Amino acid sequence: MHYNKLILILIFFLTGCYQNEIMKKKDYIFGTIVEVTIYGETEDTSNHAIELVFEEFSRLHNYLHPWEKSIIQDINQSIKKQEIYRTEDTEIFSILKHNQELELITHGYFNPAIGKLIEAWGFHADKFATGRPNSNLIDNLQRKLPHMSEINIHNGYINSKNKNIQLDLGGYAKGYALDQARRILDENNINNALINIGGNILALGRHGDRNWVVGIQNPRKPSSIASIILEPGWSIGTSGDYQRYFIVDNQRYSHLIDPNTGYPANNSQSATILFPPTESSGTLSDVYSKPLFIAPEELKYNLAKELGIDFYMIVMADGKILISSGMLNLIKWHEKIDKKNITVH
Amino acid sequence: MKKLIKKISQFIKKILIGDLFIIFIFIVLTGYLSSILWNFPQGEYLKIQMGKQEIGSFSLNQNLTKIIEGPIGKTEVIIESGKVRISKSPCTKKYCIYQGWINQLNQIIVCVPNQISISIIGNQSDYDSLNY
Repeated sequence: MHYNKLILILIFFLTGCYQNEIMKKKDYIFGTIVEVTIYGETEDTSNHAIELVFEEFSRLHNYLHPWEKSIIQDINQSIKKQEIYRTEDTEIFSILKHNQELELITHGYFNPAIGKLIEAWGFHADKFATGRPNSNLIDNLQRKLPHMSEINIHNGYINSKNKNIQLDLGGYAKGYALDQARRILDENNINNALINIGGNILALGRHGDRNWVVGIQNPRKPSSIASIILEPGWSIGTSGDYQRYFIVDNQRYSHLIDPNTGYPANNSQSATILFPPTESSGTLSDVYSKPLFIAPEELKYNLAKELGIDFYMIVMADGKILISSGMLNLIKWHEKIDKKNITVH
Repeated sequence: MKKLIKKISQFIKKILIGDLFIIFIFIVLTGYLSSILWNFPQGEYLKIQMGKQEIGSFSLNQNLTKIIEGPIGKTEVIIESGKVRISKSPCTKKYCIYQGWINQLNQIIVCVPNQISISIIGNQSDYDSLNY
């Protein structure tokens, strides 16, 4: 009799060892690392769902690629040749319309029509050029700064009178992919997952009996500066000058081009925002970090307020930190931060 | 209770050297198998330290050879397909090299003469994923 109980207890421990709560897979898509973590599903269910998500990421990567064969490249070619681009594809219409709205709301700090400027700075390549472009070229492109509003989008066709438009949805695609991933996981009844596309993260549900926790990269060290709890449905996005950049003569040139100057914005090291759940929160957490990174220091606070960003943290070029009071309440520092270096908004 | 103790002592008297041998082998085998089959959490980064100074953290998802200058010479660390070892060391006993590959969370190799320690860290304890 006693042995039976003992055996039962032993079996309980054995099953405990083999229960795999977490399924985590990584891939290399969008020119960066993508990672999907699923909690509390069987291996088969998780594998299947992750595969569907990665397939969607690959589709979007090929669909929206700024400089390789894609619908974006086709539209750019048509605009360059002053032709009308005709398509039955409704997805691209809604994407471009959303981008038009976003340029307006962000006062042009987010401008996906400036592909020519980004290309001139050498960021249209898997390995970046390591030289500064000719300043005449940059000034010239900046003077003729194109806008999304100059694109006519009607059901069935797209055209523009402005030849200088070159679409680059690099600041939009990853966020859009986050929202698509959420849709796919919802459809497959996956309730608890964490999706990370090149640092932009969306949390679905929870990690068992606790919320998901994400680390925030220190822009100048190979470690995390802080961590933050993501409630179900929340997303986090960062724009930083430490992933895509080059350095010439001790000057750092990042991929975040200020449309107002034509030059890489250099007042910040990183801008991180946290976004509550909405239908497009993945997209917005990706897109809205750019205006906060690029805008001059004195405008950042008002811009955040106007865009409805209640949770943000900006590491300025000199290492000082601007943080919203909402964010300060949620953040857990991993480093000792001097209070003198923090400005709370 | 007394009955049980009596039974156990009778049982122990019956054990022969051969039985002890089998029990010993059984314990060793259990320990060995559980150490290799148990699901230890995998690490994600290698942290290298020289004395008090932190040299840095390096992702295990790469192939990398790192040479660290210590007080008595150069130590060579190799990261290869998710695991790490010390391949060259100026120390005399070479214990650090004999430890071979490590790949699991919190495993450490220390080379005392050259004041170098390499340890595997993960992000499991602090966070689930990294925003960058």
